[in-house]
Amino acid sequence: MRGAKGARWAAVAIVVAMGATACGGGGHTGNGNAGGSSNGVVSVEIGQPQNTLVPSNTYETEGGQVIHALFTGLTKIDASNKIVNDEAQSITTKDNKVWTIKLKPGYTFHNGEPVTAQSYVDAWNYGADQTNAQQTNALFSHIQGYTDLNPGPKKTVTVHKMSGLKAVDDNTLQVTLTAPFSAFPTQLSFSGFVPLPKAFFKDPKAFGKKPIGNGPYEAKTSFVDNEGIQLTKYAKYPDASKYQVKGINFKVYSNQDTAYKDLVAGNLDILPVIPTSGLATYKKDLPDHNIDVPEGAIGYIGFPLKYNKAFENPKIRQAISMSIDRDTIAKKVFLGARSAADDYIPPLIEGYRKGACGDACTYNPTKAKQLYQEAGGLPGNTLEIGYNADGDHKTWVEAVANQIQKALGVKVTPKPFEQFQTILNDLDAKKYQGAFRMGWQMDYPNMEDFLRPVFSKDAIENGSNYAGYSNPQFEKLLSDGDQATSPADAIKTYQEADDVLLKDMPYIPVYFYRLNTGFSDKITSMNITAHQIDWDTVKLS
Amino acid sequence: MSEQIIERPVPADGPTAKAPEPDGKPERVASLWRDGWRDLRKRPMFLISGFVILCLLVLAIAPGLFTARSPFSDGFCDLQHSMDGPTSGHLFGYDVQGCDIYTRTVWGTRNSIIVGVVSTILTTALGGVIGMLAGLWGGWADSVISRVSEIFYALPILIGGLLIMSMVGSSNVWTVSFVLSILGWPQVYRIMRGEVIGNKYNDYVAAARALGASPMRIAFRHILPNTLAPIVVVSTMNLGVYIAAEASLSYLGIGVQSPAISWGLMISDAQDRWLTSPHALLFPAGALSLTVLAFIMLGDVVRDAFDPKLR
Repeated sequence: MRGAKGARWAAVAIVVAMGATACGGGGHTGNGNAGGSSNGVVSVEIGQPQNTLVPSNTYETEGGQVIHALFTGLTKIDASNKIVNDEAQSITTKDNKVWTIKLKPGYTFHNGEPVTAQSYVDAWNYGADQTNAQQTNALFSHIQGYTDLNPGPKKTVTVHKMSGLKAVDDNTLQVTLTAPFSAFPTQLSFSGFVPLPKAFFKDPKAFGKKPIGNGPYEAKTSFVDNEGIQLTKYAKYPDASKYQVKGINFKVYSNQDTAYKDLVAGNLDILPVIPTSGLATYKKDLPDHNIDVPEGAIGYIGFPLKYNKAFENPKIRQAISMSIDRDTIAKKVFLGARSAADDYIPPLIEGYRKGACGDACTYNPTKAKQLYQEAGGLPGNTLEIGYNADGDHKTWVEAVANQIQKALGVKVTPKPFEQFQTILNDLDAKKYQGAFRMGWQMDYPNMEDFLRPVFSKDAIENGSNYAGYSNPQFEKLLSDGDQATSPADAIKTYQEADDVLLKDMPYIPVYFYRLNTGFSDKITSMNITAHQIDWDTVKLS
Repeated sequence: MSEQIIERPVPADGPTAKAPEPDGKPERVASLWRDGWRDLRKRPMFLISGFVILCLLVLAIAPGLFTARSPFSDGFCDLQHSMDGPTSGHLFGYDVQGCDIYTRTVWGTRNSIIVGVVSTILTTALGGVIGMLAGLWGGWADSVISRVSEIFYALPILIGGLLIMSMVGSSNVWTVSFVLSILGWPQVYRIMRGEVIGNKYNDYVAAARALGASPMRIAFRHILPNTLAPIVVVSTMNLGVYIAAEASLSYLGIGVQSPAISWGLMISDAQDRWLTSPHALLFPAGALSLTVLAFIMLGDVVRDAFDPKLR
């Protein structure tokens, strides 16, 4: 997902007050019913989602958290980061190209409509259609007929159905891909691939405010900007008995420090990401109520390669990369909540190679200076690094800026933007000329997800390739990897694609995330996978 | 200022008479300054705050004399020392970026003093001139100006600051000073206007007018000197207030921006780790408190000396 955990789509500071008024709901203690001493309602911190809550238009972690509770997809990621079937009974293929998916019967949308294979077909056609300009558009690109729905900018779409999708009967879905793609089942776990009810297509806008999903929780209230949304358990969900939590109250915070204080004070139950201010103390503040695990996410420094020629020479980027002392930043600035990046693929993912980045990601100021001079330097000997001021990025960006300035003798200025979205909009409009912080949180645990959505040519228009990087060799290796017949072959080819990136260095990998989550006394244990709370694992006290 | 007063055409016996008790006649205003000064010198509070302010001024003008190196020099910060506590040679310890806090605190004095002094000069000049005009003109011009001033007066300095700073866009000491002046002038204006109205019907003004003095001459020679004392008092106190306001704006992220150094910014950067490394917050906060206290104390004694009515 774009922006990783730092992508806080939060509004201006003034709304803190509004967020605070919503705080009353979660802390209510009723008389003991099945869940224990509480009323079974759990409050969760989120940032303001970027868009309305339409699954195919949600490509960031904050709205994704809500979508994940409201919807159930065909597959899901289990606690050990393996892909398992969720609503799918079975997923079979002979050639990695034609996939037959059988659905488990009994699933209904929250309005009573049964979930059928057609619900998936309609949802995916909507997501892939360029007329709808959905954020996750590029994820559908493997499906046959995708190009008919995406003829290119300013062209009218005449076909609105992908030829590769077929609802054989109510419970059988057949998907034909353009080419073999071994990672297809892992991709299906992403919330962009969930089904949609007929009601969505009548009024997508109203749906985005109060989504009708097929998941374990249904929307009790509409989403209110900068406040949040309340969910309640959906009684007709087939596995409903496995879920102890009776209701979820998603609260929008624009300040994570406030959220942390609320968590420690017992006014908030789950804070998916502990902010820097809490990192040194959270294990003491929340004994046995914290999670510290490696995560499928990475932080970069990016460059607007597509329109600023100053960064064109890879040596410039390598020089900047070698000026950064990643270990010290991970240890001193992040207090161990991050580890130094040495690949474009995080350690959690199969195919990660320790030290793959080699010298280019190793702190070496002398070599950096030499490379920088060979490449002719930056215009004016200055460098700007943009970051969003609402997401805990100031300190590390300033640390990186100091290190680059020290190593290269360049004047480096960290430039705050109000929100992450402001940077992205300025990049889309080709307005911002400087470097910028960027992050990527995986959609599904596969190497491919760290390559295509961030660096492929398709992702420039429909995706998160904000650098505008493209390299035909990289494109070819990506598609070779998709067509590999065994998972091991796929990984090998994707690694070759990764090597191309490491050589070109379109973004500088800086750190890998670790997930530091905290939860209140109301909860005894819980799992969080790929940044999303596994609601069936949340046990109440 | 005092020269101007000594040259006044109202020759009174001020300079010579010791006059322990000013008898309230306007002719004796000249001796108010002298008496005030004599009074001030005797107050320990004045000596203490004056000394502190003198030190701060020296720090602001030549911070390099007191620190080994400039905080803007390459390699000044070393992340390895991030949040290290005070050691010998680095008495205040290090901040999160591994920069020496002592050096940054010393160099941060300048921005605070600039904002305090510039805002005070601007508000005094702006409020003084407008107040003088409104007081002299009276009538509808006075009404209009007073209503406008009330609009600004009603805006709390932080909320108004947030609003205007986000409109201005660029944030540095000069824009911060400008914004504080925009919000601060009505206070001086009100005092000035009140004093002018209080003085303009006095007999000596009528006498000057009868002798054919121009309105300009009346304003500057006869009314202005009598209004100065309360203005000086209020301005001195405001210096401290503006310095604190700058720190607040910078703390909120809309004042002075890094890499410029501001105590407010240093406090803001240190608050994340306040519980584990309090030194990074305490030293800049201490410097800020000391400075604001010094100016407010000075304002206090100046008031006692020059404006007994306000006591």
